[in-house]
Amino acid sequence: MSLFAQQLVLGLLLGGVYVAVAIGFSLVWGVLNIVNLAHGALVMLGAYLTWWLFTNAGMDPFVSLPIDAVALFAVGYLVQRILINRVIRAPLFFTLLLTFGINLIAVNLILLLFTSDFRAVAPSYAGSGMTVGAVEVPYIRLAAFAVALLVAGAIGFLMNRTRIGLAIRAVGADRDAAQLVGIDLRHVYALTFGVGAAAAGVAGGLIGTIYSITPTAGEPYTLQAFVVVILGGLGRVSATVVGGILFGLIEVLAQTQIPQGAGWANAIAFAVLVLVLVLRPQGIMGRRPA
Amino acid sequence: MTVFRRRLLLVALLVVTAVVLVLPVTLTPPAADAGLDPESLGIDFLVNKSILRMETTIAMFIVLATAWNLIGGLTGYAAFGNVAFFGLGAYTVGMLTDPERGHLPFALALPLAPLVPALFAALVGLPLLRLRGHYFAIATLGMGVAIGEVIKNIDLFGGSTGLFPPIFRRADWLFFYLMAGAAALAVATNWLVLRSRFGYGLIAIRENEEAAAVIGVNTTLHKVAAFVLAAALTGLAGGIFAQWNSFINQENVFPIEYNVEMILMAIAGGAGTLFGPLAGAIVLESLILWLAGMGGEVAVLSQIGLGLILAITIIFVPRGVVDFFGGQSALSLAHIRRSLRETSV
Repeated sequence: MSLFAQQLVLGLLLGGVYVAVAIGFSLVWGVLNIVNLAHGALVMLGAYLTWWLFTNAGMDPFVSLPIDAVALFAVGYLVQRILINRVIRAPLFFTLLLTFGINLIAVNLILLLFTSDFRAVAPSYAGSGMTVGAVEVPYIRLAAFAVALLVAGAIGFLMNRTRIGLAIRAVGADRDAAQLVGIDLRHVYALTFGVGAAAAGVAGGLIGTIYSITPTAGEPYTLQAFVVVILGGLGRVSATVVGGILFGLIEVLAQTQIPQGAGWANAIAFAVLVLVLVLRPQGIMGRRPA
Repeated sequence: MTVFRRRLLLVALLVVTAVVLVLPVTLTPPAADAGLDPESLGIDFLVNKSILRMETTIAMFIVLATAWNLIGGLTGYAAFGNVAFFGLGAYTVGMLTDPERGHLPFALALPLAPLVPALFAALVGLPLLRLRGHYFAIATLGMGVAIGEVIKNIDLFGGSTGLFPPIFRRADWLFFYLMAGAAALAVATNWLVLRSRFGYGLIAIRENEEAAAVIGVNTTLHKVAAFVLAAALTGLAGGIFAQWNSFINQENVFPIEYNVEMILMAIAGGAGTLFGPLAGAIVLESLILWLAGMGGEVAVLSQIGLGLILAITIIFVPRGVVDFFGGQSALSLAHIRRSLRETSV
């Protein structure tokens, strides 16, 4: 029983990581109608930035998170403004292929800069945690969970309570009408992608603190972000939070049922994807089928 | 282009094709059959092994890109996981020819290589092809990754070690002809589909699926059939690859890059056309092989180069080089500007 409780807690905390990974992906998909195949690479950029600041400047990984966000916002803004804006009206093939090309470039640039060695961020409090009853709760994962919810809250606030969020939602609802009322489409697109990338950067910082990282470790996160968004439902921050946490729970519980479960992450994600698409294509919290 | 110049081009292409097809024969003179190393005899061959290997690889990508064209180019469904069929075909041959498993000769195993992926495509095609747009794209991408992972995790299929079909010695020319034959079959299939009622149905689905259904096209049947055909051809290439490479594992027969490379080839050449994917495969795969041949640090740079080619193609010539060179618009800056204006904000 206590083993089950432990798994539930770990699944919940892992879900927090998925929320952080998926929230930016969901924003970009919902507003720009782009499935960003470079999302995993952006996550890894954030992870390496945190690692680099920790190793070379001794900066605490949680302190470096805002730096990740700002740096990745700049990267995301420029990528959208210079590259993706040029094909945004083309059929979806083209945005998919373009983001895959960006992914290829980003992953190999990381490979050139940081080599393919495994890297890990190990602050002094790594490995310590508290014990609640019979359940062990690692501090880092708990903090990561809190940060993930914070990021989700911040994006929710940005989208629903600010003028910029209003503009972003207007563009998402009707591009041409938004342009007619004087919204600068190029800027708002770039802004949206930048915010999505910033969230990916924070997620990467968290992942770099929890796991050891390699340049190619980002690829599964793109698929998982997609599954989380499908599972929760597209278009709302709260749906992504529910989808992320649920997916974390599913993954941990499924992996403990399968021998050598850790090798099955992609297969589990795919199975969840197909099941959701067949049974409830609009997602758990979605309102209408897409 | 005048009729005369077009004919001249056609004749030139036929001559080049004929030369490429005949040259490999020079690789297997009697000396080689007698077990002598040709190079030690000091005979200068017109083709050496590495060039033949490159040609076989190019032929393989012609199959992949042309097969993808059936579902992606003609039907308009963004299939991002065709590598699953390649891997399944490879593993079919791998399992059947393995000394400890199937124990079949390659000649008997190869005909089954298209069947397994085709069956699989029919099975997953029914639920997956109900999806549209991004949903279909990522679902198929997930399919490609998941199948490879499942095979890697099951010891029956060789686990992470992989499978080792028995090696054929001095048979490089055989695999070249098999692959070239598969490429010809893929192009012929496209040609037949393009001028058949079935092909018009597929194009109708691409242009407007609801309208196609209204005028009586059985859309589900058409889409699944196109998916199955693409899977069978891709699987055939995988089967030949398994024996040719005589070593297969998850990494070399389920690489995600293949998904994108075949799509890029088809699109760069001209998706939905007969010879576009073929032209794209020849040009791009030559480029990729040339970049990769530099080795070492350059291997990483070549990946970056591929990414740049991808970005530049998508942004500047989204309708492919066939349209670029042979379509209504000539090679010009105005053409690039026009297509940029159509797609950007």
